[in-house]
Amino acid sequence: MQRVVVIGSGDGGTFTANLLALELRDEIRGGLASVQLIGEHLKHPFQPGNLDVAFKGASPDKYVKDETDLLRKEVEFIQDPAVRIDLQGRSVTTKSGRTLDYNFLVIATGAVADPSKVPGLSDGALNFHTGAVDSQRIWESIKSFQGGTIVVAIAGTPHKCPPSPNEAAFMLDEYFHKRGIREKVNIKFLTPYPRPYPAEKISRVVEPLFKERGIDVSTFFNVDAVDPAAKKIYSLEGEVVQYDMLIAIPPHHGADVIINSGIGDEDGYVPTDRGTMRVEGQEGVYAIGDATNIPVSKSGVVAHLQSVVVAHNIVSEINKTAEFLEYNGRINCPMEVGSHRAIFVSATYTSPPTDQTPSVVKYLMKRSFAMIYWRALNGSLERIFDGFFGQTRFPLQIENKEVKSVVGAEAAAGKAGQGR
Amino acid sequence: MSTTAQHKVVDSRGSFCPGPITDLFKAYRNSQLGDIIELLATDPAAKADVTAWAQKSGNELMDMIEEQGYLRIIVKITKKRS
Repeated sequence: MQRVVVIGSGDGGTFTANLLALELRDEIRGGLASVQLIGEHLKHPFQPGNLDVAFKGASPDKYVKDETDLLRKEVEFIQDPAVRIDLQGRSVTTKSGRTLDYNFLVIATGAVADPSKVPGLSDGALNFHTGAVDSQRIWESIKSFQGGTIVVAIAGTPHKCPPSPNEAAFMLDEYFHKRGIREKVNIKFLTPYPRPYPAEKISRVVEPLFKERGIDVSTFFNVDAVDPAAKKIYSLEGEVVQYDMLIAIPPHHGADVIINSGIGDEDGYVPTDRGTMRVEGQEGVYAIGDATNIPVSKSGVVAHLQSVVVAHNIVSEINKTAEFLEYNGRINCPMEVGSHRAIFVSATYTSPPTDQTPSVVKYLMKRSFAMIYWRALNGSLERIFDGFFGQTRFPLQIENKEVKSVVGAEAAAGKAGQGR
Repeated sequence: MSTTAQHKVVDSRGSFCPGPITDLFKAYRNSQLGDIIELLATDPAAKADVTAWAQKSGNELMDMIEEQGYLRIIVKITKKRS
């Protein structure tokens, strides 16, 4: 019996569990394998929808479904959050005290946006990274805003959805234009990076648009603290900016279960091989998405593409085929720039983002993804995605890599010699 | 609390923009005035980014050395909100 446990029922965890269930359905029906998904919430949100909730007044209900409706029937969903991962003992303990043993583990525990990490941020700033309820607070606030300075600040890196701070500024501009009071609203954008978007070629698109729309930018602004009473935000470098409304992207860290289990780096992210997605130094243990320490975008697309690699590699280990895949670092982050136009921030580990021109087609593609997201989670759209994303993975060159497998070590060694 | 200046090496080799500058900022956040941060980077953009940051923030760019295949950038923390 091969037991696969997936921790985390977000985009990556849900999709990985479904892919594994699809690939292992015969083994699961025959009692030879199981796929258990451990999650905290029954409700599964489409997180990019928070931007629409915050800046367009969309209803959060539009962007949420029951997790059980998204899972293949072969997946056992356990709504009982993981509180401890024992990599040596190969088990996971849940909040209720249940212990799940595993042969294979997938860590998809995500990243946590935590305003408490910056003094004054919790009380002084609104944000759309901690969920739909907080996103709605932004909508309520901007609806009644009559004029003054709105500051959009990146208060910590890395954070989920790298284009989202820029999108927030663009969407504020658009919203106040529609209300006819744009000239009464000063929009300021504070970023720790050297330019409005960290990747230079993307910044070449964003910077002139910000200028054209009167969005002021302060670069190299590493947020140190917020004084909610004085409505001031301070940088480590010594700058201070006055605001009437502050919308900040909070610092992020890894999930509590990673930190409390002592298996993360200093920020709680899991040290992971950027190709195979294996947790460093562990056999049969993988991590995906926002939970890893890999320096790529923390986004749903990345988690999705990594899920394909991980599910394939686990099935290869179970079937002893020794045909492993490596993720190539492909990212694809849509950025809405207003006026019904968008760009895609696309790159791999070896190819930086390329020049972009905002287009209506990309905007429509971004918008349509919100509708197909739910179907994408069950794996039925993979052919379309493969066509769209192009190459996102490649066969592992096992003559250069040490391949250790819980059940497939002999098969791997037979094909790869002695590995690395 | 110790007031002895610290010398910290931040190895960002293999990381691309914004990796090196982000790693530098993380070390800056945890630093005190007088500390030395030595950033190792293979991304050529690190040169311009760190130079611009030092100029704007008022921190001291002490040296920038072209090593075999990477840059060694040495910054002294002389400006930080306390």
